[in-house]
Amino acid sequence: MPADHDDELHDELLRRVVAELRRPVRLDPALDARALRALREDQRRRRPVRRRLWLAGAALAAGVLVAVLLRLPSTEGTRPAPAAVAAGGLETRHVEIRLSAPASSVAVVGDFNDWDPAATPLQPTAEGGVWSVDLQLKPGRYHYAFLIDGRRWEGDPSEPRATKSDFGAPVSVLTVS
Amino acid sequence: MSDSDAALVARTLEGDLNAYGVLMARYRDSFGRYAFHMLGNREDAQEAMQDSFVRAYRALETCRQPDRFGAWLFRIVANRCRTVRHRLLRYRRFDAELPDEIPAVDPAPASFEWREEIGRALARLRPHYREAFLLRYVEGLDDAEMSLVTGAREAALRMRVKRAGDQLRELLRDVHAG
Repeated sequence: MPADHDDELHDELLRRVVAELRRPVRLDPALDARALRALREDQRRRRPVRRRLWLAGAALAAGVLVAVLLRLPSTEGTRPAPAAVAAGGLETRHVEIRLSAPASSVAVVGDFNDWDPAATPLQPTAEGGVWSVDLQLKPGRYHYAFLIDGRRWEGDPSEPRATKSDFGAPVSVLTVS
Repeated sequence: MSDSDAALVARTLEGDLNAYGVLMARYRDSFGRYAFHMLGNREDAQEAMQDSFVRAYRALETCRQPDRFGAWLFRIVANRCRTVRHRLLRYRRFDAELPDEIPAVDPAPASFEWREEIGRALARLRPHYREAFLLRYVEGLDDAEMSLVTGAREAALRMRVKRAGDQLRELLRDVHAG
């Protein structure tokens, strides 16, 4: 990943700044131990992490219908989405994420929740086989995917695919404007 | 020979937390440097890194290219830094810590003052500018990688890098001349 772009720095002052910023910064090694303690606690509560997130087969893919409905706050109507303001002061948008698929659990993972599978579970709706969750997102561009039954990773066929993914699996792009 | 990232990720996924400990040690300081410069102090950088390690572990199943674990983890770190910074803005004024706790390599008095001034100048940049400048020149990411980490368009990122450079030059000109 790293490459230097020093040839773009035509200014001696900025070269000195960058050289200084590249000096090592050493953090407290004890933070690893603190993280490990939290993870051991995780291990006690959860089943061991297991690999194998191979994609769902063609049958599942054919059966999956995913729709992300973006609803902007309305100025009219009987029950407009409540205005919300994020910590940074920007107004957020109400985004409903829906998935129609045979599954016992569905979660959405993405930039908005640090790809944490436990952070944003979808709830089953009365429609049967349809899962849904409401999010409040600031305007921006988000990469995301679905985690089905805790092990199957699916992009969203109704939204554009990311052209490049660090995850090596299908990832979709949601633009909130 | 040290284990590859991919091998350590595989062992971690089999339940070997010690393997994950090796990964944390491998990336703690290199990514911690980015967190330190983004957040302006060591304490918050350490919190962001610890949080990132925990979140990355919980999401490790989704790392489909274990040989690129570092790139994947870095994205989580960058996200965490944004989250921590937003929280800091709510509770206290963001300011740069004087880098006086753990010495970097060969800390001569003159360079100490220089580092102090750079830290202050960096803290005065808009966060998006600071982020873009660090990703470009300190972490060495190209346009596409920066876009992936930040979610911003490549053209916007190039503009941020340029403005960050212009502002840093302006803020540090007198110090440099002296």
